[in-house]
Amino acid sequence: MADSHTTRLSYGTLSDEVADDYRKALEDLTMNSRYEISNLTVIAKENTEHALAISEALKNHIKQTSPAKKLPAFYVLDSVVKNVGTPYTLFFGRQLYSTFMEAYALVDNNVRRKMDEMLKTWKEPVPGSIDTRPVFPPEVTRPIENALIKARTSAVQAHQEHLRNQQQIMGRRPNPSPTPFRDTPTPPGAVRHAIPGAPGHGYPPNYGPQSYPPPAGGQPFPNPMNGHQQYGLPQRPPNQQYPNPSGAAPSWQQPQPQGYPTPENSVDTLTSDIANLIATSKADFAQNPWDSSIQTRLKALLDLQTILSSQKLPPDQIALIKDQVAQLSEASKPSSRIQTPLAPVPPPAPVAVAPSPAQQPTLSSLLGPGALAALLASQSATPQPTPPVQAQPFAPVRSPPPSHAQPSFNTLAPAVSSSTPVPDPASLLEKLRAAGMLPAIPTSTATPSLPLGTVVGSVPPSIMPPFISTPPSAARTPLADLPNDVVLRAASLKIPRPHLISSLYERLGAPCTQCGRRFQSDEEGRKKKTIHMDWHFRVHQRMTEAEKRGQHRSWYVDELDWIKSREVEDDQNTGSVDGIGLSGTGSGATSNKPPELQYIPVPDDPPNSFCPICQEKFEMKWLDDAQEFVWMDARKIGDRIYHATCYAEATKDGGGGGVQQVKRLTPEPVLGKRKAEVSGLE
Amino acid sequence: MSIPGLGQAAHAATYLTPSIASSVAIHDLQANSEWRFEVAIGRSIEAKVISGTAELFGTELALNHTYTFRGTKAAIFTWHGCQLEITGTCEEYTAEETPMVSYVNTHFALEKLRDDASGGRGECPKVLVVGPTNAGKTSLVKLLTAYAIRVGRQPMVINADSREGLLSLPGSLTAVPFASVMDVEQGWGSSPTSGPSPVPVKLPLCYYYGLPSPEDNTKLYKPVLTRMALAATSRLSDDLDIKNSGMIIDTPGVISQGKGGYDLISHIVSEFSVNIILVLGSERLHSDMLRRFSGYRTTTGDTITLVKLDKSGGCVDRDDEFMLQSREASIKEYFFGDIKRTLSPHTQQISFDDATIYKIREANALLSSLLPGGQEDGESELYEKVEPSLAMLHCILAVMYASPVDNQETIRDASVMGFVYMAEVDEKKRRLKVLAPLNTRVTDRPMVWGSWPEATMSLVG
Repeated sequence: MADSHTTRLSYGTLSDEVADDYRKALEDLTMNSRYEISNLTVIAKENTEHALAISEALKNHIKQTSPAKKLPAFYVLDSVVKNVGTPYTLFFGRQLYSTFMEAYALVDNNVRRKMDEMLKTWKEPVPGSIDTRPVFPPEVTRPIENALIKARTSAVQAHQEHLRNQQQIMGRRPNPSPTPFRDTPTPPGAVRHAIPGAPGHGYPPNYGPQSYPPPAGGQPFPNPMNGHQQYGLPQRPPNQQYPNPSGAAPSWQQPQPQGYPTPENSVDTLTSDIANLIATSKADFAQNPWDSSIQTRLKALLDLQTILSSQKLPPDQIALIKDQVAQLSEASKPSSRIQTPLAPVPPPAPVAVAPSPAQQPTLSSLLGPGALAALLASQSATPQPTPPVQAQPFAPVRSPPPSHAQPSFNTLAPAVSSSTPVPDPASLLEKLRAAGMLPAIPTSTATPSLPLGTVVGSVPPSIMPPFISTPPSAARTPLADLPNDVVLRAASLKIPRPHLISSLYERLGAPCTQCGRRFQSDEEGRKKKTIHMDWHFRVHQRMTEAEKRGQHRSWYVDELDWIKSREVEDDQNTGSVDGIGLSGTGSGATSNKPPELQYIPVPDDPPNSFCPICQEKFEMKWLDDAQEFVWMDARKIGDRIYHATCYAEATKDGGGGGVQQVKRLTPEPVLGKRKAEVSGLE
Repeated sequence: MSIPGLGQAAHAATYLTPSIASSVAIHDLQANSEWRFEVAIGRSIEAKVISGTAELFGTELALNHTYTFRGTKAAIFTWHGCQLEITGTCEEYTAEETPMVSYVNTHFALEKLRDDASGGRGECPKVLVVGPTNAGKTSLVKLLTAYAIRVGRQPMVINADSREGLLSLPGSLTAVPFASVMDVEQGWGSSPTSGPSPVPVKLPLCYYYGLPSPEDNTKLYKPVLTRMALAATSRLSDDLDIKNSGMIIDTPGVISQGKGGYDLISHIVSEFSVNIILVLGSERLHSDMLRRFSGYRTTTGDTITLVKLDKSGGCVDRDDEFMLQSREASIKEYFFGDIKRTLSPHTQQISFDDATIYKIREANALLSSLLPGGQEDGESELYEKVEPSLAMLHCILAVMYASPVDNQETIRDASVMGFVYMAEVDEKKRRLKVLAPLNTRVTDRPMVWGSWPEATMSLVG
């Protein structure tokens, strides 16, 4: 992008001049002024021969200008493509993804909403135009949309509770009606929000909108945006340090870190790191009070600090926070060094905001939905001389600590749920983790759609948050690696959690066509399913046989047997004993069976429960193939039951003479033949 | 000349029959909605999920598999939306408002506790479901059980409601570990038979109470329950899979209605070491339970978690007639099987002298026996040993795993071997003809005769 930019700008002096003029005009565009925007549109229209230069100028302006000025610049772009069309659509279209997404990551929620609306109109024909083609071709808008949807989906899931409790949910897509340029080139009121109040009172104006997930979605915390943001942005040429045009004072952060000892893996290191970051951020803030992303980052850091100082966190969580903070500080240090020192600016309002977590204890108000985006954006936006740092955000993806597999989410809810009096470190962690784990969407500007497509494709069910897209290895409890925050409290139970529903459906694998039971698609699951299907088949086969033969309900087992019995997975009895138990007590086991497979159904009225030969009790077990309890290795010879092996042994030896009356365990008297009066009822 | 009306009626009848048989309706369900239907006893409908996902009381329905529902009131719910093809007529409607979110979340919360218990942190959930009659307690128990099964658990289901049987006849109290998919067409499924079963059978441990309401004779109900708790707990401590899954206990609605009932709830809570109580659909009951169990500690020193859940709008009052028919249907099913599988019971002739029959005393009877008079064992008499009589005709008797010579308490604590149906009583010849599930002699076991389930005529002849 950068090279194309530089080469093309030198096309001709005239182009350069036009572009320069255009750039200057853009720089004056600080608010959503309809007059200025249409003026710029007209200029673009009248200078289509310099379209390339103008579009580059606009693109660069959008990239470099402060977040507050990005929206008006986008409106210019919007106006130009809608009212002039080609060749501008062509030129903007090439890098629309990066232009749009990079800006999106940095602006606040209100601006994002406006951008969402704008994007929507780009997918449609220009209102009133006879041309039925969309403003931008789908191959340009779709990658952006996909990225936003992905961001939104995971955000929505993680924040179901949150969203649900917001009235804003009703207006998820507020007024999505296409805004024809001619009527409303500039949605009214957009600028009011986009521009924070005076530098003096940093947070208050922005606090409200920042701390709630925006109706348009996409910003709340486990925001894939952050993920790709942190990955993609470092690839940008380092000459674009727009967040800190005037540089930061190193004096803000240098003395502090040096003052702290750095013991390994301790809270102290962490606190000092955070303090360090806070100092950096404060400096940034002082430079750039307009940048709400710095505000939110600073606020998040301050809150993190509060949590750390007020709560004792488990070491593993500390380690995790530490990782994140380490990355942040690594990222911010070099950036601040590059910047030229500035006259010390006293720390402004933010200090006063520090105690606010005490009043607003829940976590989303702590970090704010945009906060993490800001944190990560700043991390990646700043040049990173050490490449390993870039790779670090991915570490959590590969090996998320199991203990963090299900931190509670519900505490992320805003103050609506009064049941969370203290900020929950686990959810903070979750935020950090989720952000770090998000899959990257490469923003390689040349071919934005291709890598994006593959990433999107790898997460097939859209309701699955990206960070759980890896299939679980544990087949039994698929829930184990899903964040499960449900507690048995009325409020928590009322919140829909679609991502958990998947643990009852797709995460269990594909269903059996016969009974709907699901099996994992891994090797073990497939094996189980094969056995299961065999079982279905066998049962069907035997059903007909059994029908002919006649069957009856068994007696219930008695207490002791029941306590000792174990539920075997019905169909997973791999011992493929063929043939079926013989019904009733009348007939003996067929003698042509291999000895080890001989069994008889547990007699309802056994003549003997010990083998008359070896005096040992018959082993009772549930045999799936017979669908009843059987005595294994048993054979009925005449009126008596023997161990098949014993009997074979005895008869082989030629002497069955050792057969003697065995005292029975069961209290009932030994009975002879069943009385003839017994008759079946047909 | 035809008589006016008659010919037409006949015509209408012939016209009507095929139209019912061929009535196929397609229902498109939105995500998170529920198709509720009532099929009268003796009627049936066929349901098929054509697309999407659907579940019936928590058990997922297979795609394009025809399920037949007979004499039931149930609901098919979908989380993702689905298309149902229904053949046959039934009362039905689609509801969008369901408490399913809180129900499924209850499952997830229990899952978390199970995970914790498996990891050695905390006790497995032992869940008691209480609520008024027709609040959907059994459906909730079924739902939670089905979800647990789906994720590979083996929950133990305890039925403390003698009005309806669980894999057994009404009048009994059962404990059943569930490890395999439930039979959606047949409620809970089936207890073992001598033949194969298309849906894996479940193995109940069964005790006999023989009266419809626990309050009819708490002196019998409580010890039977205690015994069942003992067995269930033993199994739990032996069986790791069940131990990690916990218990879900269904209760009769009547104990949720007042003072005496609350004592029974306390009894169940202490006997089963219940640590979670789900209160279904009653604000009042919830607050009463709160009051009763707020300071309560389980045997392991834990507090009891009390949760109120909303009653589903799909809960319908099942009138006495429907309940009676369901009971008869379950008795029939016990002896004769269902459509999918025919069972052949056996009749046995028994001499009056060979039969050992105990009649359950009801509370009032117990009282009168306490009046002055020369009764031997005084108030410990639970049963009354009776001669077979015509009063037993068409009644159900429980055959106990005990010896005729055992004392009453042993018989009371014994589990049930099975049930017989008194088909004939010939007082002159002093002979009985009983219908038993199989042709094993029952005379060497004591039989207990309760008033519940009531005599039913429809079984034989």
